[in-house]
Amino acid sequence: MQRIPIKLAKPGFILAKEAITPEGQVLCGADTELTEDLILRLKKQGVLVLTVKGHPVRLPGELPLSEKLRELDRRFSKVKKDPVLKALETLIGEFWIEQEKGEGYLKRLKSQKS
Amino acid sequence: MDKEEIRKRLKDVESLPTLPPIVSKLNEMVADEDTTATKLGKIIEKDQVLTSKLLRMVNSSFFGFPQRISTVSNAIVLLGFNVIKTLIVTSSIFEVMQASDVGLFEHSLGCATAAGIIAKRLQIKNPEEVSTAGLIHDLGKIVLRSELPEEYEEIVKITNEKGLYIREVEHQRLGIGHGEIGGMLARQWNLPERLVIPIEYHHKPGSSPDFKDITAIIHFSDILIRALGFGNSGDPWVPSLDHKAWELIKFKKSDVKEIISELDEKLVELQDFTLEIKKDA
Repeated sequence: MQRIPIKLAKPGFILAKEAITPEGQVLCGADTELTEDLILRLKKQGVLVLTVKGHPVRLPGELPLSEKLRELDRRFSKVKKDPVLKALETLIGEFWIEQEKGEGYLKRLKSQKS
Repeated sequence: MDKEEIRKRLKDVESLPTLPPIVSKLNEMVADEDTTATKLGKIIEKDQVLTSKLLRMVNSSFFGFPQRISTVSNAIVLLGFNVIKTLIVTSSIFEVMQASDVGLFEHSLGCATAAGIIAKRLQIKNPEEVSTAGLIHDLGKIVLRSELPEEYEEIVKITNEKGLYIREVEHQRLGIGHGEIGGMLARQWNLPERLVIPIEYHHKPGSSPDFKDITAIIHFSDILIRALGFGNSGDPWVPSLDHKAWELIKFKKSDVKEIISELDEKLVELQDFTLEIKKDA
């Protein structure tokens, strides 16, 4: 799931949350697939940000996944021996991977390998 | 410099934003049994700047109320007076923090958000108090920065050069850490012990004399928010986990996964909130 300014929205993106105007009016529901027309209509109604599924846009200043994971590993470097924290690191890494590649990605990868 | 000297210097903290006069007035009123949330709200609402700051904080995503809170008396009813009082007491501090250390501000908001999510999951009474404790858990760092600027600069420099935890260097240089310093000040300001102890013991929750559950939550929230790399609290390292505290909350993997997912969503909203604040600053 990713929150993006509407100007970066493209046809094919799927809403993860309702599209709402700054005044709080709901214009269309979650799971709606965006089209050129719909984006235009939402813009006209004053929608500024959308929450979409997956992670389709790289925002300025945002690190690519591989770098995010490297930084994660570095932050944990002083607590590598703690099994609870080790598990936490793995969970966060997996969460980011699935966020970018789509839910169930790691499971599919595993079943492909076996 | 030793502990005593620091204690003395904190006693007459001058440059640090002092308690707004309204707080002692409110304390008096709360002691009076006839006081109602409406009466308290009216007093606070006389100060428009404070009111708008307060409403912005209570409506920000870390408390996570679905509906908008539009009056101070509503905020008092929903969040409790302890939370409102703490927000008033610390509002000027957060202004200093927003201006001088956005990274620490983000870290604090993130920790508050995580603490609220965890407190609700553990069904702690008044989870908003736990969020508030998260919000001010690093009070000591703000005090250090504003009261002992030269020492603080030196501490940050050594922390970066040697790749240490900032609290290790605080102990080396001052003989005291930001947890204890924050606790001292919070106590001086008569904040409730439910908030003071988690501030004081967030790095050694296993030794906390009371409110062990809240302290453990703040300890783990601090770890979690640093693990996610949200904000900046002086050093980039994930702190070590106190296993005595972990025993008190001990989540299953599936729980932690859900917490991460819920937190991540809130952090996106929080970013909007901090951007808005940066714009106003």
